Amino acid sequence: MLEISIFSILALFMIGGSIAMISNRQTVFSAFGFLVAMIGLAGIFALLNSQFLAVAQIMVSVGAVVVLSMLTILTVNANGKNMPHEPNKNKWIIFTSILVAPFTILLYKALATLPDHFSTMETINSKVIGKELFSEWVLPFEILSILLLSAMVSAIVIARKSKNKERGRS
Amino acid sequence: MSLAAILIAILSFVLGALLALLTIPVLVWLERRVASLIQDRLGPNRTNVFGFRFGGVVQSFADVVKLLLKEEYYPSHIKTGKWLFMLAPVITFAVALLAFMAIPFADTLHIDGEALRVQALPIDYGVLWYLAIGAIGVLGVIFGGWLSHNKYALLGSARAGSMVISYELPLGLSILAFIITYNTVDFNAMVQWQSGTFFAFLPAWGILVQPIASIILIVSLFAETNRNPFTVAEGESEIVAGFMTEHTAMKFAMYFMGEYIAMNTASAVIITVIFGGYQIPWVSTEMMLQNFSVFAMVLMISVPVIVGLLIKWMRKNNTVRPTVSTDSGRNFETKVLTIALLSMTALIEVILLYLAFFADSSLANSITVMLFQIVVFVVKLMMFNIFFILIRWTVPRFRYDQVQHLGWYYLLPLSLLNLFITALVVVGIT
Repeated sequence: MLEISIFSILALFMIGGSIAMISNRQTVFSAFGFLVAMIGLAGIFALLNSQFLAVAQIMVSVGAVVVLSMLTILTVNANGKNMPHEPNKNKWIIFTSILVAPFTILLYKALATLPDHFSTMETINSKVIGKELFSEWVLPFEILSILLLSAMVSAIVIARKSKNKERGRS
Repeated sequence: MSLAAILIAILSFVLGALLALLTIPVLVWLERRVASLIQDRLGPNRTNVFGFRFGGVVQSFADVVKLLLKEEYYPSHIKTGKWLFMLAPVITFAVALLAFMAIPFADTLHIDGEALRVQALPIDYGVLWYLAIGAIGVLGVIFGGWLSHNKYALLGSARAGSMVISYELPLGLSILAFIITYNTVDFNAMVQWQSGTFFAFLPAWGILVQPIASIILIVSLFAETNRNPFTVAEGESEIVAGFMTEHTAMKFAMYFMGEYIAMNTASAVIITVIFGGYQIPWVSTEMMLQNFSVFAMVLMISVPVIVGLLIKWMRKNNTVRPTVSTDSGRNFETKVLTIALLSMTALIEVILLYLAFFADSSLANSITVMLFQIVVFVVKLMMFNIFFILIRWTVPRFRYDQVQHLGWYYLLPLSLLNLFITALVVVGIT
């Protein structure tokens, strides 16, 4: 009973945060909604007794993603006034939510069968996850790291000044 | 869960909350007194309650009352998001308080085969907790700065955010080097690792085992806690008060107190990771428990000496200048405090005498060792806080680009190199 009530509170926080994130015009409230949703997700991980995932969730999503997105908002001064005009925004949100509902049900059905395909563990701490990651899941892990590396390289390439322009200036 | 387990859990939670909250007034007072010491003046020392000044700590409590009674003022140009504007300081404050809770104050107590952690939050992944929770604190700063709708506040919060991002990397990488060295993510296990010796005679403290990572850790924690020489987020000479320009009364006080708790947490992390935590060098908990009577006798000799020196120092300094006619109750305060200290010492002596020679209870012995370790922890914590304050009043502030340059060009490559060498050495040894 206690678990269910905690879960429902966390789920409400997550849903509320997500709705606030997509429906708000002020970017800063969107970021706050995302923050609330991510902390709710971390809470659900903690409720499932996997503290490492909860802490990692906070570390990555809140400590890195929200801070970076807030920094972007600060740098480009993304006020509500400067945002593009979106007529009938709420209608569009409702319409698309109905449109993706069947896909969501499909996703739910697929995800509900996932626990049968994985071995369950008593305790999930950083040591267990590290060993699992570097033995069974080492190939996906490396592929993901290559993806991150390519993203980083492309970011640097985009941010770099082109040589011609630099010559022209100097 | 036995009764002892519940008691220890409650007591360590209370201790954690008290250590975090009650050190704020002491730290504010210390900051002002140490600044005065460096600038050759006295600092706040007059405020008193019935003649008791305690060196001026009472001033901080008076300041809190003043801030509580101040007018809550909201800038009229803040149209939307007043609630988040108010909530932002609370985020910073609460997060700083939460991050402190993972620090162990004493070694794990073993009562009837039960292992009880003397930690406000009894978790065994304290390092990850600190890194995760500590990163949220800056969000309060960013939200508050953005919602102030003020150029100075905007610049201040942008600076705070970018500084946290650039110093989180060396901080994380240096802590990763410690995790590899100690082979654990548990603060308490880290402290236990440091109780051994290194090169046969040096204590195996992190600062001696991992000097480069230790220096990177200290520097990046200074930057993370927004202390001098990294106070670019609230540089008075450039951007007034930075992100808290528009925050008044208790909202300002929340930011202010959050900063001091963050500093306290940073010192606690530093002493736990690299200065042996609650342990004194060369002496591990098992050693103290096995030779308890020797330990008790050493304490029985050293406590009166320390208290005697304290009383002598107090008698010399708790006076007024000879030219002043009234002593404003200082002699009375000295007398009362002397009696209190002496009776406390006598009580400690009697208890130790009883425990060392007459009682034979392992529970009482381990509780005595625990209390001793808590005292050692608090003394070390205060020493490091004074170190933080001394740095603030000694080193001038860096320019903003210099701070970023230091983070990205020196600390990050250095910590990566250090991590690589550490991994090589650890793999080579095992």
